[in-house]
Amino acid sequence: MSLLRYTLRRFAQAIPVLIGIVTITFFLANQIPGDPVEIMLGPTPAQEQVEAIRARYGLDRPIHVRYFTYLSGVATGNLGFSIYYDRPVLEMIMLRLPVTLLLMLSAFAFAVATAIPLGVISAKRRNEPADHVSRVVSLIGVSTPSFWIGLVLIIVFAFYLGWFPARGLVLPWTDPADVRGAATQFEVLRQSAHHLFLPMIALGTLQMAQITRIERSSMVDSLQGEYVKLARAYGVPESTIVRKHAFQVAQLPVITIIGLGLSTALGGAVLTETVFEIQGMGRLIITAINNQDYELIMGTTLVFGIVYVVGVIVTDITYSYLDPRVTYGED
Amino acid sequence: MSEPLLSVRDLKTQFFTEDGTVRAVDGISFDVHEGEIVGLVGESGAGKSVATSSILRLVDSPGEIVGGEIEFKGETIFGLEADDDGELRPRDEMLTENEMRKRIRGREIAIIFQDPMESLNPVFTVGGQLREFIEINRDLDPDEAKEEAIDMLREVGIPAPESRYDEYPHQFSGGMRQRVLIAMALACQPDLIIADEPTTALDVTVEGEILEMVTELQEKYDTSFIWVTHDMSVVAEICDRVNVMYLGEIIEQAEVDDLFYDTKHPYTSALLDSMPRPDRTVDELRPIEGVMPEAIDPPAGCRFHSRCPEAREVCREVHPEPRDLSEEGEPRHAAACVKHDAFDVGYDESPPIDTRAGGGFSAGLTETGGEAE
Repeated sequence: MSLLRYTLRRFAQAIPVLIGIVTITFFLANQIPGDPVEIMLGPTPAQEQVEAIRARYGLDRPIHVRYFTYLSGVATGNLGFSIYYDRPVLEMIMLRLPVTLLLMLSAFAFAVATAIPLGVISAKRRNEPADHVSRVVSLIGVSTPSFWIGLVLIIVFAFYLGWFPARGLVLPWTDPADVRGAATQFEVLRQSAHHLFLPMIALGTLQMAQITRIERSSMVDSLQGEYVKLARAYGVPESTIVRKHAFQVAQLPVITIIGLGLSTALGGAVLTETVFEIQGMGRLIITAINNQDYELIMGTTLVFGIVYVVGVIVTDITYSYLDPRVTYGED
Repeated sequence: MSEPLLSVRDLKTQFFTEDGTVRAVDGISFDVHEGEIVGLVGESGAGKSVATSSILRLVDSPGEIVGGEIEFKGETIFGLEADDDGELRPRDEMLTENEMRKRIRGREIAIIFQDPMESLNPVFTVGGQLREFIEINRDLDPDEAKEEAIDMLREVGIPAPESRYDEYPHQFSGGMRQRVLIAMALACQPDLIIADEPTTALDVTVEGEILEMVTELQEKYDTSFIWVTHDMSVVAEICDRVNVMYLGEIIEQAEVDDLFYDTKHPYTSALLDSMPRPDRTVDELRPIEGVMPEAIDPPAGCRFHSRCPEAREVCREVHPEPRDLSEEGEPRHAAACVKHDAFDVGYDESPPIDTRAGGGFSAGLTETGGEAE
């Protein structure tokens, strides 16, 4: 009943967090030695040219004035202007964010779809060969960096075998006219999946491994629960016990890990996009930093912050939905 | 007496651990007749719970039933036979795992566990869990099962069962949850209910209420019970007959009055002395000396000799099986103690042994308190 109020309250609580992110990023970005204008104009610019550009982007004003101007801009949905791209920050983000979200979503879908069955089988066949295989796979998965997996995948599947493209990404909703070799939307979709496959695995492997490990240990615990013994003693079939009685209890820690995995996946997305030359948020943030594009740095960081905060809130809401013992903190 | 409902003969259940074989249940025999409450009493670690899970054939790995026979209403729950090469294998008439699940567990023999806080699944409603088990074991459709579940919740004294049906276990108190578990057992309409220390985790007033309720419902439904407990006062309150277990063996078996007023085994006497009794006034209670030895390497001879105040040299050597010591025409009263003349192994001539030094335990702990207190 109070789920809606709980959700609204959680989002309201996120506002100070986001203001914190904006503030810290703002001052950090402005502390970087150098100036975007220098980068724009090269090593020996004319003084009046520099001043004209600084004035144009408001860089000549004192830092606190710029801070409050920026903050009020953010509050009204104006994330500023990218000096490097010469376009509004929001426009750049709207162009790149879907790419990263698509990559992350498919990576998590891949991770969850493989990890949950793997973890459950592992727990059910504890200390049998299937369990050993899945544990070794997940151990390798958690200890291998995503960019390295990406490079290996490119070498094997793109370079030697030539099964998948090594770079770029086609968004599934692109107009077929803009995509080479695609006459219909379906072919665009096929190309998109083709491109997405390797980066999805590169980014999703770590998540898959982590979720598998938690799923296994959580299922092992819940399969030993008294309620499982009770269900067995009342003649409930073993398959129902695993799928229903033990499974639902065991998902609570798994949900938490998936939520926390979002933050590592955001970092992983930056590396994966670099390895696969995908024009997403990760590449955008790197370009922004390299060119000291203040407002673009702040905008992209803020969006990453929002994605993370929303992820945590969704995790908490799912958690309270699945576990009746969690209350919404209201009496 | 008529055919027993459940008959357990020489049941042996062992756990194969890295440290060796734990003989948790080591050759116990007992019967349960229709409509009676049979007690299974002993300290923690005596093998009571393993014995009950053996009856449902639900012993967890690395445990295994290795010998004996369990018959229930003419069906063989467990029974081995030697094949042509002398290897033991399950008898043909022994129920398969599938038959156990479909025909015995829940439907014929239901169980109530010790810990009401852990036994219910925290993520499903109380009613949903009750309904599921009723559906499975009584072949009812969901609506009928729900109705039955609500009726049963009312029967076990849960107020406003219609609304509590949709609540979750954490919204119930310990006593209420135990009532739910009792409702679960009764609602499946089994012939036998195994109650594995169901009141141990509850406080004394709640325990009293629950015992009273069970006695009433037992009469109403005429269900047989195996009541597992370490508490002699619970035994006195509800049991018809009692089996006293020590280290995997049954050492005394009698009707409840005979057990209390004509105790034949020193261990039973020690258990009785360690609890307060309304019919006796004592200055202080006498705990049983020492702790129960490990079932992995039980003492030779009588297993209780290391703690027995009446132990003599012969007790180290002779391992007594329970024998019926009752007079002609009286109900069976068996005990496994060589001090009785029926055993005739020279107990009277044998020199006494100092159990405190010999046992190696001088902790003097009250062991009857057992788990969860």
